[in-house]
Amino acid sequence: MKPLKIAMMSMTHGHTRKYYQTLMENPKLDWVAVSTANDEVKEIFLNSVKGIPCYEDELEMLDAHPEIEAVVLASENSEHLRQMKLCAERGIHILSMKIPTFDMEEYEEMIKVVEDNNLVCQIELEMHYNPVIARLKESVAEGKIGNIKSFNATNITLSPVWAFPWQGVPEKSYGKRVSIKDGDSRFRGGALCDHPHIFDMIRHITGSDFESVYAEVAPNIRPDIEEEDMLSVIGRMKDGTIFSLDPSWAKMEERLKVPGPGWEVFPKRMEVNITINGDKGTLMADCFGPNVYHNGCPNDRYTVQYTYFDEWIGLIDEFVDNIRNNKTPLINLKWHKRTIEAMNAVYESIATGKAVKF
Amino acid sequence: MNNLQQKLDFLLEKYSVEDRPVLKNDKEFSIGDKTYPVLSHRTERKFTELKNIVNNGTLEGVSVMRTSRIVEKNKDIYEELYREIDICRYVLQREMKSVMVYDNGNVLNAILSAEDDIVCTIEIAATLNEGDIPKEKHEVIAKRGTACDIVVDSQLRQDSIYIFGENNEKYTDVDFELYGLSYDEINIVRNVFFISRDNEYDNVLKNHTIVSNLVELAKKSAKSGEREVVR
Repeated sequence: MKPLKIAMMSMTHGHTRKYYQTLMENPKLDWVAVSTANDEVKEIFLNSVKGIPCYEDELEMLDAHPEIEAVVLASENSEHLRQMKLCAERGIHILSMKIPTFDMEEYEEMIKVVEDNNLVCQIELEMHYNPVIARLKESVAEGKIGNIKSFNATNITLSPVWAFPWQGVPEKSYGKRVSIKDGDSRFRGGALCDHPHIFDMIRHITGSDFESVYAEVAPNIRPDIEEEDMLSVIGRMKDGTIFSLDPSWAKMEERLKVPGPGWEVFPKRMEVNITINGDKGTLMADCFGPNVYHNGCPNDRYTVQYTYFDEWIGLIDEFVDNIRNNKTPLINLKWHKRTIEAMNAVYESIATGKAVKF
Repeated sequence: MNNLQQKLDFLLEKYSVEDRPVLKNDKEFSIGDKTYPVLSHRTERKFTELKNIVNNGTLEGVSVMRTSRIVEKNKDIYEELYREIDICRYVLQREMKSVMVYDNGNVLNAILSAEDDIVCTIEIAATLNEGDIPKEKHEVIAKRGTACDIVVDSQLRQDSIYIFGENNEKYTDVDFELYGLSYDEINIVRNVFFISRDNEYDNVLKNHTIVSNLVELAKKSAKSGEREVVR
Protein backbone atom coordinates (compact mmCIF):
# COMPACT_ATOMS: atom_id res chain seq x y z
CA MET A 1 0.00 0.00 0.00
CA LYS A 2 1.30 3.44 -0.95
CA PRO A 3 2.18 5.47 2.18
CA LEU A 4 -0.35 8.21 2.91
CA LYS A 5 1.14 11.68 2.49
CA ILE A 6 0.07 13.47 5.65
CA ALA A 7 0.55 16.92 7.19
CA MET A 8 -0.41 18.65 10.42
CA MET A 9 -1.90 22.09 10.92
CA SER A 10 -1.66 24.65 13.73
CA MET A 11 0.07 22.41 16.32
CA THR A 12 -1.76 24.19 19.13
CA HIS A 13 -3.86 21.26 20.33
CA GLY A 14 -2.89 19.36 23.45
CA HIS A 15 -2.71 16.12 21.49
CA THR A 16 -0.23 17.47 18.94
CA ARG A 17 2.79 15.76 20.44
CA LYS A 18 0.93 12.42 20.56
CA TYR A 19 1.29 12.28 16.77
CA TYR A 20 5.02 12.85 16.54
CA GLN A 21 6.10 9.27 17.12
CA THR A 22 3.27 7.69 15.12
CA LEU A 23 3.76 9.95 12.13
CA MET A 24 7.49 9.29 12.15
CA GLU A 25 7.32 5.53 12.67
CA ASN A 26 4.15 4.28 10.97
CA PRO A 27 5.24 2.77 7.65
CA LYS A 28 1.83 3.53 6.19
CA LEU A 29 2.56 7.26 6.46
CA ASP A 30 4.80 9.76 4.77
CA TRP A 31 4.90 12.86 6.98
CA VAL A 32 5.24 15.69 4.49
CA ALA A 33 5.03 18.94 6.45
CA VAL A 34 3.51 20.94 9.28
CA SER A 35 2.18 24.47 9.58
CA THR A 36 2.33 26.23 12.93
CA ALA A 37 -0.10 28.81 14.26
CA ASN A 38 2.41 30.89 16.20
CA ASP A 39 6.08 31.24 17.10
CA GLU A 40 5.67 29.46 20.41
CA VAL A 41 4.35 26.18 18.97
CA LYS A 42 6.82 26.46 16.09
CA GLU A 43 9.71 26.53 18.54
CA ILE A 44 8.27 23.59 20.51
CA PHE A 45 7.86 21.60 17.30
CA LEU A 46 11.35 22.36 16.01
CA ASN A 47 12.78 21.33 19.37
CA SER A 48 10.86 18.06 19.26
CA VAL A 49 11.00 16.84 15.66
CA LYS A 50 13.78 17.10 13.09
CA GLY A 51 13.59 16.88 9.33
CA ILE A 52 9.96 17.81 8.70
CA PRO A 53 9.38 21.08 6.79
CA CYS A 54 7.67 23.60 9.02
CA TYR A 55 5.61 26.49 7.61
CA GLU A 56 4.24 29.53 9.39
CA ASP A 57 1.30 29.73 7.02
CA GLU A 58 -1.01 26.81 6.27
CA LEU A 59 -1.80 28.03 2.75
CA GLU A 60 1.87 28.26 2.00
CA MET A 61 2.26 24.68 3.17
CA LEU A 62 -0.63 23.41 1.08
CA ASP A 63 0.58 25.29 -2.01
CA ALA A 64 4.12 24.01 -1.55
CA HIS A 65 2.96 20.43 -1.09
CA PRO A 66 0.13 19.56 -3.49
CA GLU A 67 0.95 15.92 -2.79
CA ILE A 68 -0.62 16.15 0.70
CA GLU A 69 -3.49 13.64 0.91
CA ALA A 70 -4.55 14.10 4.52
CA VAL A 71 -4.17 16.60 7.32
CA VAL A 72 -4.35 16.32 11.09
CA LEU A 73 -6.14 19.45 12.28
CA ALA A 74 -4.22 19.90 15.51
CA SER A 75 -5.87 23.23 16.21
CA GLU A 76 -8.17 25.04 18.59
CA ASN A 77 -11.86 24.24 18.16
CA SER A 78 -12.65 27.67 16.73
CA GLU A 79 -10.40 26.99 13.72
CA HIS A 80 -11.84 23.65 12.67
CA LEU A 81 -14.53 24.70 10.18
CA ARG A 82 -12.25 27.12 8.36
CA GLN A 83 -9.48 24.54 8.11
CA MET A 84 -11.89 21.82 7.02
CA LYS A 85 -13.03 24.04 4.15
CA LEU A 86 -9.41 24.71 3.26
CA CYS A 87 -8.75 20.98 3.07
CA ALA A 88 -12.00 20.17 1.29
CA GLU A 89 -11.25 22.63 -1.52
CA ARG A 90 -8.16 20.57 -2.24
CA GLY A 91 -9.69 17.14 -1.74
CA ILE A 92 -7.59 16.55 1.37
CA HIS A 93 -8.88 14.04 3.93
CA ILE A 94 -9.25 15.19 7.52
CA LEU A 95 -8.39 13.89 10.96
CA SER A 96 -10.28 16.25 13.26
CA MET A 97 -9.59 16.79 16.95
CA LYS A 98 -12.20 15.45 19.37
CA ILE A 99 -14.48 18.51 19.29
CA PRO A 100 -15.19 19.56 15.67
CA THR A 101 -17.39 22.42 16.97
CA PHE A 102 -20.11 23.04 19.54
CA ASP A 103 -22.09 25.20 17.12
CA MET A 104 -24.61 22.85 15.53
CA GLU A 105 -25.06 25.05 12.44
CA GLU A 106 -21.31 24.94 11.90
CA TYR A 107 -21.48 21.22 12.52
CA GLU A 108 -24.03 20.75 9.71
CA GLU A 109 -21.80 22.82 7.44
CA MET A 110 -18.90 20.50 8.23
CA ILE A 111 -20.95 17.44 7.34
CA LYS A 112 -21.97 19.05 4.03
CA VAL A 113 -18.43 20.08 3.14
CA VAL A 114 -17.12 16.59 3.81
CA GLU A 115 -19.94 14.84 1.93
CA ASP A 116 -19.87 17.22 -1.05
CA ASN A 117 -16.19 16.56 -1.51
CA ASN A 118 -16.34 12.82 -0.79
CA LEU A 119 -13.74 13.07 1.96
CA VAL A 120 -12.87 10.92 4.92
CA CYS A 121 -13.29 12.96 8.10
CA GLN A 122 -12.37 10.94 11.15
CA ILE A 123 -12.80 12.31 14.66
CA GLU A 124 -9.94 11.70 17.02
CA LEU A 125 -11.46 9.68 19.89
CA GLU A 126 -8.46 7.58 20.69
CA MET A 127 -9.99 5.57 23.53
CA HIS A 128 -11.41 3.19 20.92
CA TYR A 129 -7.84 2.04 20.24
CA ASN A 130 -7.06 1.32 23.90
CA PRO A 131 -6.59 -2.37 24.83
CA VAL A 132 -8.51 -2.09 28.11
CA ILE A 133 -11.48 -0.68 26.21
CA ALA A 134 -11.16 -3.55 23.72
CA ARG A 135 -11.41 -6.06 26.60
CA LEU A 136 -14.26 -4.11 28.18
CA LYS A 137 -16.25 -4.12 24.93
CA GLU A 138 -15.59 -7.82 24.46
CA SER A 139 -16.59 -8.70 28.02
CA VAL A 140 -19.83 -6.74 27.84
CA ALA A 141 -20.66 -8.21 24.42
CA GLU A 142 -20.08 -11.72 25.78
CA GLY A 143 -22.67 -11.05 28.47
CA LYS A 144 -20.31 -11.42 31.42
CA ILE A 145 -22.25 -8.85 33.46
CA GLY A 146 -25.62 -9.39 31.79
CA ASN A 147 -27.77 -6.51 30.62
CA ILE A 148 -26.33 -3.10 31.39
CA LYS A 149 -28.10 -1.19 34.17
CA SER A 150 -25.67 1.69 34.72
CA PHE A 151 -22.53 3.13 33.13
CA ASN A 152 -20.36 5.28 35.39
CA ALA A 153 -17.15 6.83 34.14
CA THR A 154 -14.50 9.38 34.93
CA ASN A 155 -12.48 11.23 32.31
CA ILE A 156 -10.54 13.44 34.66
CA THR A 157 -7.24 15.15 33.99
CA LEU A 158 -5.13 18.07 34.98
CA SER A 159 -5.98 21.33 33.24
CA PRO A 160 -4.12 21.96 30.01
CA VAL A 161 -4.84 25.69 29.90
CA TRP A 162 -1.36 26.77 30.97
CA ALA A 163 0.33 24.79 28.18
CA PHE A 164 -2.43 25.21 25.60
CA PRO A 165 -3.85 28.65 26.37
CA TRP A 166 -6.69 28.53 23.82
CA GLN A 167 -8.42 25.98 26.04
CA GLY A 168 -8.82 28.73 28.62
CA VAL A 169 -10.42 31.12 26.13
CA PRO A 170 -14.19 30.53 25.79
CA GLU A 171 -14.32 31.83 22.21
CA LYS A 172 -11.62 29.40 21.08
CA SER A 173 -12.71 26.39 23.08
CA TYR A 174 -16.52 26.64 23.09
CA GLY A 175 -16.73 28.90 20.04
CA LYS A 176 -18.29 31.88 21.76
CA ARG A 177 -18.58 33.50 25.18
CA VAL A 178 -21.61 32.08 27.00
CA SER A 179 -22.16 32.47 30.72
CA ILE A 180 -22.23 29.10 32.50
CA LYS A 181 -25.32 30.17 34.49
CA ASP A 182 -26.99 33.30 35.85
CA GLY A 183 -25.03 34.97 38.62
CA ASP A 184 -21.85 32.99 37.85
CA SER A 185 -18.74 34.69 36.50
CA ARG A 186 -17.60 31.62 34.59
CA PHE A 187 -18.16 30.75 30.93
CA ARG A 188 -18.65 27.58 28.90
CA GLY A 189 -15.53 26.09 27.37
CA GLY A 190 -13.61 24.41 30.19
CA ALA A 191 -13.21 20.83 31.34
CA LEU A 192 -16.30 19.55 29.56
CA CYS A 193 -14.92 20.66 26.18
CA ASP A 194 -11.78 18.63 26.85
CA HIS A 195 -13.49 15.34 27.64
CA PRO A 196 -15.98 13.95 25.10
CA HIS A 197 -14.68 10.37 25.34
CA ILE A 198 -17.05 9.03 27.99
CA PHE A 199 -20.06 10.69 26.32
CA ASP A 200 -19.10 8.78 23.17
CA MET A 201 -18.17 5.52 24.84
CA ILE A 202 -21.49 5.02 26.60
CA ARG A 203 -23.23 5.21 23.21
CA HIS A 204 -20.94 2.53 21.79
CA ILE A 205 -21.18 0.22 24.78
CA THR A 206 -24.96 0.43 25.24
CA GLY A 207 -25.89 0.81 21.56
CA SER A 208 -28.36 3.39 22.81
CA ASP A 209 -28.61 7.15 22.88
CA PHE A 210 -29.20 9.90 25.40
CA GLU A 211 -32.72 10.36 26.75
CA SER A 212 -32.14 12.69 29.72
CA VAL A 213 -29.11 14.64 30.96
CA TYR A 214 -28.70 16.50 34.27
CA ALA A 215 -25.54 18.33 35.34
CA GLU A 216 -24.20 20.62 38.01
CA VAL A 217 -21.09 22.74 38.07
CA ALA A 218 -19.03 22.86 41.28
CA PRO A 219 -16.82 25.67 42.55
CA ASN A 220 -13.62 25.86 40.51
CA ILE A 221 -10.49 24.42 42.04
CA ARG A 222 -8.67 26.95 39.83
CA PRO A 223 -10.52 30.17 40.69
CA ASP A 224 -8.38 32.20 38.27
CA ILE A 225 -9.58 30.55 35.07
CA GLU A 226 -12.78 31.87 33.52
CA GLU A 227 -14.25 28.50 32.50
CA GLU A 228 -15.66 25.58 34.49
CA ASP A 229 -13.16 23.03 35.77
CA MET A 230 -15.34 20.78 38.00
CA LEU A 231 -18.70 19.37 36.98
CA SER A 232 -20.82 16.25 37.42
CA VAL A 233 -23.27 14.70 34.98
CA ILE A 234 -25.95 12.06 35.49
CA GLY A 235 -28.81 10.87 33.30
CA ARG A 236 -30.52 8.09 31.43
CA MET A 237 -30.14 6.47 28.01
CA LYS A 238 -33.12 5.53 25.85
CA ASP A 239 -32.62 1.84 26.73
CA GLY A 240 -33.00 2.65 30.46
CA THR A 241 -29.29 2.56 31.33
CA ILE A 242 -28.50 5.29 33.83
CA PHE A 243 -25.13 6.99 33.88
CA SER A 244 -22.80 9.13 35.94
CA LEU A 245 -20.04 10.92 34.05
CA ASP A 246 -17.26 13.07 35.47
CA PRO A 247 -15.43 15.10 32.81
CA SER A 248 -13.60 17.42 35.24
CA TRP A 249 -10.12 18.86 35.37
CA ALA A 250 -9.91 17.26 38.83
CA LYS A 251 -6.14 16.66 38.98
CA MET A 252 -4.12 19.69 40.04
CA GLU A 253 -1.07 20.63 37.98
CA GLU A 254 2.00 22.84 37.96
CA ARG A 255 1.45 25.64 35.48
CA LEU A 256 4.03 24.50 32.92
CA LYS A 257 4.21 26.11 29.48
CA VAL A 258 5.36 22.82 27.96
CA PRO A 259 4.06 19.53 29.41
CA GLY A 260 6.79 17.39 30.86
CA PRO A 261 8.22 15.91 34.06
CA GLY A 262 6.94 17.73 37.13
CA TRP A 263 3.58 18.60 35.58
CA GLU A 264 1.71 16.78 38.35
CA VAL A 265 0.75 18.27 41.71
CA PHE A 266 -1.72 15.43 42.30
CA PRO A 267 0.33 12.27 41.66
CA LYS A 268 -1.78 11.10 38.71
CA ARG A 269 -2.29 13.42 35.76
CA MET A 270 -5.13 11.59 34.06
CA GLU A 271 -7.72 8.89 34.67
CA VAL A 272 -10.34 7.16 32.57
CA ASN A 273 -12.11 4.67 34.81
CA ILE A 274 -15.33 2.96 33.79
CA THR A 275 -17.67 0.94 36.01
CA ILE A 276 -20.48 -0.87 34.27
CA ASN A 277 -23.16 -2.49 36.43
CA GLY A 278 -25.28 -5.20 34.89
CA ASP A 279 -28.00 -7.51 36.07
CA LYS A 280 -25.40 -10.30 36.48
CA GLY A 281 -22.52 -8.35 37.96
CA THR A 282 -20.15 -5.41 37.74
CA LEU A 283 -17.16 -4.62 35.53
CA MET A 284 -14.61 -2.07 36.78
CA ALA A 285 -11.96 -0.84 34.36
CA ASP A 286 -8.96 1.46 34.69
CA CYS A 287 -8.02 2.25 31.10
CA PHE A 288 -4.42 3.23 31.82
CA GLY A 289 -2.12 0.90 33.65
CA PRO A 290 -0.55 -0.93 35.33
CA ASN A 291 1.84 1.94 35.90
CA VAL A 292 5.08 2.65 37.73
CA TYR A 293 5.70 5.22 40.45
CA HIS A 294 8.54 7.47 41.52
CA ASN A 295 9.29 10.46 43.70
CA GLY A 296 12.29 11.75 41.82
CA CYS A 297 13.10 14.88 39.83
CA PRO A 298 12.11 17.58 39.36
CA ASN A 299 9.87 18.03 42.43
CA ASP A 300 10.47 14.88 44.53
CA ARG A 301 6.71 14.29 44.54
CA TYR A 302 5.21 10.82 44.42
CA THR A 303 4.12 10.52 40.79
CA VAL A 304 2.32 8.01 38.61
CA GLN A 305 4.40 7.32 35.49
CA TYR A 306 2.17 5.92 32.77
CA THR A 307 3.37 2.92 30.82
CA TYR A 308 1.04 2.98 27.84
CA PHE A 309 -0.06 5.72 25.49
CA ASP A 310 -0.23 3.87 22.17
CA GLU A 311 -3.81 4.71 21.21
CA TRP A 312 -2.67 6.86 18.30
CA ILE A 313 -1.16 3.83 16.52
CA GLY A 314 -4.54 2.14 16.08
CA LEU A 315 -6.22 5.44 15.37
CA ILE A 316 -3.85 6.27 12.51
CA ASP A 317 -4.03 2.71 11.17
CA GLU A 318 -7.79 3.06 10.92
CA PHE A 319 -7.49 6.51 9.32
CA VAL A 320 -5.19 5.19 6.58
CA ASP A 321 -7.44 2.18 6.03
CA ASN A 322 -10.49 4.43 5.72
CA ILE A 323 -8.81 6.58 3.09
CA ARG A 324 -7.17 3.83 1.08
CA ASN A 325 -10.21 1.55 1.14
CA ASN A 326 -12.92 4.22 1.03
CA LYS A 327 -14.41 3.26 4.41
CA THR A 328 -16.48 5.32 6.82
CA PRO A 329 -14.63 6.02 10.08
CA LEU A 330 -15.98 4.47 13.28
CA ILE A 331 -16.15 7.99 14.69
CA ASN A 332 -17.39 10.09 11.80
CA LEU A 333 -19.04 13.50 11.88
CA LYS A 334 -22.60 12.16 11.71
CA TRP A 335 -22.08 9.63 14.51
CA HIS A 336 -20.30 12.16 16.70
CA LYS A 337 -23.04 14.77 16.34
CA ARG A 338 -25.20 13.18 19.04
CA THR A 339 -22.24 13.16 21.44
CA ILE A 340 -21.73 16.88 20.89
CA GLU A 341 -25.46 17.49 21.36
CA ALA A 342 -25.32 15.64 24.68
CA MET A 343 -22.37 17.80 25.78
CA ASN A 344 -24.32 20.92 24.82
CA ALA A 345 -27.19 19.51 26.90
CA VAL A 346 -24.83 19.37 29.89
CA TYR A 347 -24.26 23.11 29.56
CA GLU A 348 -27.97 23.72 29.13
CA SER A 349 -28.76 21.70 32.26
CA ILE A 350 -26.17 23.63 34.26
CA ALA A 351 -27.69 26.90 33.06
CA THR A 352 -31.32 25.97 33.74
CA GLY A 353 -30.95 23.71 36.79
CA LYS A 354 -33.19 21.19 35.05
CA ALA A 355 -32.74 17.89 33.27
CA VAL A 356 -32.58 18.17 29.48
CA LYS A 357 -34.80 15.64 27.75
CA PHE A 358 -34.03 14.51 24.18
CA MET B 1 -26.07 -10.31 67.33
CA ASN B 2 -25.18 -11.98 70.68
CA ASN B 3 -21.49 -11.73 69.94
CA LEU B 4 -21.82 -8.05 69.08
CA GLN B 5 -23.83 -7.40 72.23
CA GLN B 6 -21.15 -9.09 74.32
CA LYS B 7 -18.46 -6.92 72.77
CA LEU B 8 -20.61 -3.83 73.29
CA ASP B 9 -21.23 -4.72 76.92
CA PHE B 10 -17.50 -5.30 77.37
CA LEU B 11 -16.74 -1.75 76.15
CA LEU B 12 -19.53 -0.21 78.22
CA GLU B 13 -18.27 -1.88 81.36
CA LYS B 14 -14.60 -1.21 80.68
CA TYR B 15 -15.21 2.51 80.20
CA SER B 16 -17.84 2.78 82.95
CA VAL B 17 -20.71 3.86 80.74
CA GLU B 18 -23.95 3.79 82.72
CA ASP B 19 -26.38 3.29 79.83
CA ARG B 20 -27.00 -0.23 78.66
CA PRO B 21 -28.06 -0.06 74.98
CA VAL B 22 -29.38 -3.25 73.41
CA LEU B 23 -28.62 -4.07 69.79
CA LYS B 24 -31.85 -5.07 68.01
CA ASN B 25 -30.17 -5.70 64.64
CA ASP B 26 -27.40 -4.14 62.56
CA LYS B 27 -29.52 -1.03 61.94
CA GLU B 28 -31.15 -0.31 65.32
CA PHE B 29 -30.52 -0.34 69.05
CA SER B 30 -32.72 0.50 71.99
CA ILE B 31 -32.48 2.08 75.40
CA GLY B 32 -35.52 1.09 77.42
CA ASP B 33 -38.50 1.59 75.16
CA LYS B 34 -36.76 4.04 72.84
CA THR B 35 -35.27 2.86 69.54
CA TYR B 36 -32.43 4.60 67.74
CA PRO B 37 -30.79 4.06 64.35
CA VAL B 38 -27.23 2.74 64.13
CA LEU B 39 -25.20 5.10 61.94
CA SER B 40 -22.15 2.88 61.91
CA HIS B 41 -20.46 4.75 59.04
CA ARG B 42 -20.03 7.68 61.42
CA THR B 43 -17.58 5.61 63.46
CA GLU B 44 -15.61 4.19 60.54
CA ARG B 45 -12.16 5.58 61.16
CA LYS B 46 -11.57 6.36 57.50
CA PHE B 47 -14.56 8.70 57.44
CA THR B 48 -13.51 10.32 60.69
CA GLU B 49 -10.08 10.98 59.20
CA LEU B 50 -11.59 12.29 55.95
CA LYS B 51 -13.80 14.58 58.05
CA ASN B 52 -10.74 15.83 59.90
CA ILE B 53 -8.75 16.38 56.70
CA VAL B 54 -11.63 18.34 55.18
CA ASN B 55 -12.34 20.45 58.25
CA ASN B 56 -9.01 20.96 60.03
CA GLY B 57 -7.41 23.02 57.27
CA THR B 58 -5.56 20.21 55.52
CA LEU B 59 -7.76 20.71 52.45
CA GLU B 60 -8.72 24.22 51.43
CA GLY B 61 -11.71 25.20 49.32
CA VAL B 62 -13.67 22.00 48.84
CA SER B 63 -15.32 21.72 45.43
CA VAL B 64 -16.61 18.18 45.01
CA MET B 65 -17.22 14.98 46.97
CA ARG B 66 -17.58 11.79 44.94
CA THR B 67 -18.71 8.49 46.40
CA SER B 68 -19.41 5.12 44.86
CA ARG B 69 -20.61 1.96 46.59
CA ILE B 70 -21.31 -1.48 45.15
CA VAL B 71 -23.04 -3.99 47.46
CA GLU B 72 -24.72 -7.39 47.42
CA LYS B 73 -27.67 -7.96 45.10
CA ASN B 74 -30.21 -8.26 47.89
CA LYS B 75 -29.44 -4.83 49.38
CA ASP B 76 -31.82 -1.87 49.11
CA ILE B 77 -30.21 0.85 46.98
CA TYR B 78 -32.06 3.61 48.83
CA GLU B 79 -30.75 2.34 52.18
CA GLU B 80 -27.29 2.56 50.64
CA LEU B 81 -28.11 6.07 49.44
CA TYR B 82 -29.06 6.97 53.04
CA ARG B 83 -25.61 5.83 54.15
CA GLU B 84 -23.76 7.71 51.42
CA ILE B 85 -25.70 10.94 51.90
CA ASP B 86 -24.94 10.86 55.61
CA ILE B 87 -21.27 10.15 54.91
CA CYS B 88 -21.20 13.26 52.69
CA ARG B 89 -22.87 15.31 55.44
CA TYR B 90 -20.51 13.93 58.05
CA VAL B 91 -17.28 14.30 56.08
CA LEU B 92 -18.14 17.74 54.73
CA GLN B 93 -19.92 18.89 57.92
CA ARG B 94 -22.46 20.56 55.68
CA GLU B 95 -26.15 20.18 54.91
CA MET B 96 -27.56 19.28 51.50
CA LYS B 97 -29.67 21.80 49.58
CA SER B 98 -30.98 19.72 46.68
CA VAL B 99 -30.99 16.22 45.23
CA MET B 100 -31.39 14.76 41.74
CA VAL B 101 -31.60 11.00 41.21
CA TYR B 102 -31.87 8.51 38.37
CA ASP B 103 -32.52 4.88 39.33
CA ASN B 104 -32.81 1.68 37.32
CA GLY B 105 -33.72 -1.41 39.32
CA ASN B 106 -30.64 -2.31 41.33
CA VAL B 107 -28.64 0.83 40.49
CA LEU B 108 -28.89 4.51 41.31
CA ASN B 109 -26.94 7.70 40.55
CA ALA B 110 -27.40 10.97 42.41
CA ILE B 111 -26.11 14.52 42.46
CA LEU B 112 -26.60 16.53 45.64
CA SER B 113 -25.75 20.16 46.11
CA ALA B 114 -24.42 21.09 49.54
CA GLU B 115 -23.85 24.37 51.33
CA ASP B 116 -21.13 26.49 49.63
CA ASP B 117 -22.33 24.95 46.32
CA ILE B 118 -20.18 21.86 46.89
CA VAL B 119 -21.38 19.15 44.51
CA CYS B 120 -21.71 15.57 45.77
CA THR B 121 -21.97 12.68 43.34
CA ILE B 122 -23.18 9.31 44.60
CA GLU B 123 -23.13 6.09 42.56
CA ILE B 124 -24.84 2.99 44.01
CA ALA B 125 -25.14 -0.52 42.61
CA ALA B 126 -26.45 -3.73 44.19
CA THR B 127 -24.82 -6.28 41.92
CA LEU B 128 -22.44 -8.36 44.04
CA ASN B 129 -22.90 -12.00 44.94
CA GLU B 130 -23.92 -12.83 48.48
CA GLY B 131 -20.95 -12.60 50.81
CA ASP B 132 -18.91 -10.25 48.61
CA ILE B 133 -17.40 -7.33 50.49
CA PRO B 134 -18.73 -3.92 49.35
CA LYS B 135 -16.54 -2.05 46.87
CA GLU B 136 -16.49 1.64 47.63
CA LYS B 137 -14.63 4.88 47.15
CA HIS B 138 -14.99 8.27 48.81
CA GLU B 139 -13.07 11.22 47.44
CA VAL B 140 -13.03 14.92 48.25
CA ILE B 141 -11.48 17.32 45.75
CA ALA B 142 -10.54 20.84 46.80
CA LYS B 143 -8.68 23.87 45.53
CA ARG B 144 -5.82 22.75 47.69
CA GLY B 145 -5.61 19.01 47.97
CA THR B 146 -7.55 15.83 47.35
CA ALA B 147 -8.46 13.24 49.99
CA CYS B 148 -9.59 9.70 49.29
CA ASP B 149 -10.13 6.40 51.09
CA ILE B 150 -8.35 4.32 48.46
CA VAL B 151 -4.83 4.72 47.21
CA VAL B 152 -4.00 6.67 44.05
CA ASP B 153 -4.10 4.68 40.81
CA SER B 154 -6.17 1.81 42.20
CA GLN B 155 -9.80 0.78 41.92
CA LEU B 156 -10.25 -1.16 45.15
CA ARG B 157 -9.29 -0.84 48.80
CA GLN B 158 -6.21 -2.71 49.94
CA ASP B 159 -6.42 -5.43 52.58
CA SER B 160 -3.96 -5.72 55.46
CA ILE B 161 -3.05 -9.38 55.01
CA TYR B 162 -3.04 -11.63 51.96
CA ILE B 163 -2.40 -15.36 52.32
CA PHE B 164 -1.69 -17.24 49.11
CA GLY B 165 -1.89 -20.96 49.68
CA GLU B 166 -4.37 -23.76 49.37
CA ASN B 167 -7.14 -21.28 50.10
CA ASN B 168 -6.41 -17.72 49.10
CA GLU B 169 -7.35 -15.57 52.08
CA LYS B 170 -7.26 -11.91 53.03
CA TYR B 171 -7.85 -10.05 56.26
CA THR B 172 -8.37 -6.47 57.35
CA ASP B 173 -8.36 -6.06 61.14
CA VAL B 174 -8.82 -2.55 62.40
CA ASP B 175 -9.63 -2.73 66.12
CA PHE B 176 -7.55 -4.54 68.75
CA GLU B 177 -10.17 -4.25 71.49
CA LEU B 178 -12.79 -5.77 69.22
CA TYR B 179 -10.44 -8.22 67.49
CA GLY B 180 -12.36 -11.05 65.87
CA LEU B 181 -15.31 -8.99 64.68
CA SER B 182 -15.64 -8.12 61.03
CA TYR B 183 -15.03 -4.58 59.74
CA ASP B 184 -18.76 -3.83 59.60
CA GLU B 185 -19.45 -5.43 62.99
CA ILE B 186 -16.75 -3.32 64.62
CA ASN B 187 -18.33 -0.15 63.28
CA ILE B 188 -21.76 -1.12 64.60
CA VAL B 189 -20.45 -1.83 68.09
CA ARG B 190 -18.27 1.28 68.14
CA ASN B 191 -21.13 3.47 66.95
CA VAL B 192 -23.54 2.39 69.66
CA PHE B 193 -20.77 2.59 72.26
CA PHE B 194 -19.81 6.17 71.31
CA ILE B 195 -23.44 7.31 71.20
CA SER B 196 -24.02 5.93 74.70
CA ARG B 197 -20.73 7.16 76.11
CA ASP B 198 -21.18 10.68 74.71
CA ASN B 199 -24.96 10.88 75.22
CA GLU B 200 -25.49 11.59 71.51
CA TYR B 201 -29.02 10.18 71.31
CA ASP B 202 -30.69 13.43 70.26
CA ASN B 203 -28.10 14.03 67.56
CA VAL B 204 -28.62 10.54 66.17
CA LEU B 205 -32.35 11.15 65.85
CA LYS B 206 -31.76 14.56 64.32
CA ASN B 207 -29.39 13.17 61.70
CA HIS B 208 -31.77 10.32 60.98
CA THR B 209 -34.64 12.72 60.36
CA ILE B 210 -32.59 14.93 58.03
CA VAL B 211 -31.21 12.03 55.99
CA SER B 212 -34.56 10.22 55.83
CA ASN B 213 -36.09 13.39 54.43
CA LEU B 214 -33.34 13.59 51.80
CA VAL B 215 -33.92 9.97 50.80
CA GLU B 216 -37.63 10.66 50.40
CA LEU B 217 -36.77 13.64 48.18
CA ALA B 218 -34.41 11.39 46.25
CA LYS B 219 -37.20 8.89 45.59
CA LYS B 220 -39.44 11.74 44.50
CA SER B 221 -36.75 13.01 42.13
CA ALA B 222 -36.27 9.55 40.62
CA LYS B 223 -39.99 9.45 39.87
CA SER B 224 -40.38 13.00 38.60
CA GLY B 225 -37.09 13.28 36.70
CA GLU B 226 -36.54 16.68 38.29
CA ARG B 227 -34.23 18.07 40.95
CA GLU B 228 -35.82 18.29 44.39
CA VAL B 229 -34.90 21.18 46.68
CA VAL B 230 -34.79 20.88 50.48
CA ARG B 231 -37.38 23.26 52.00
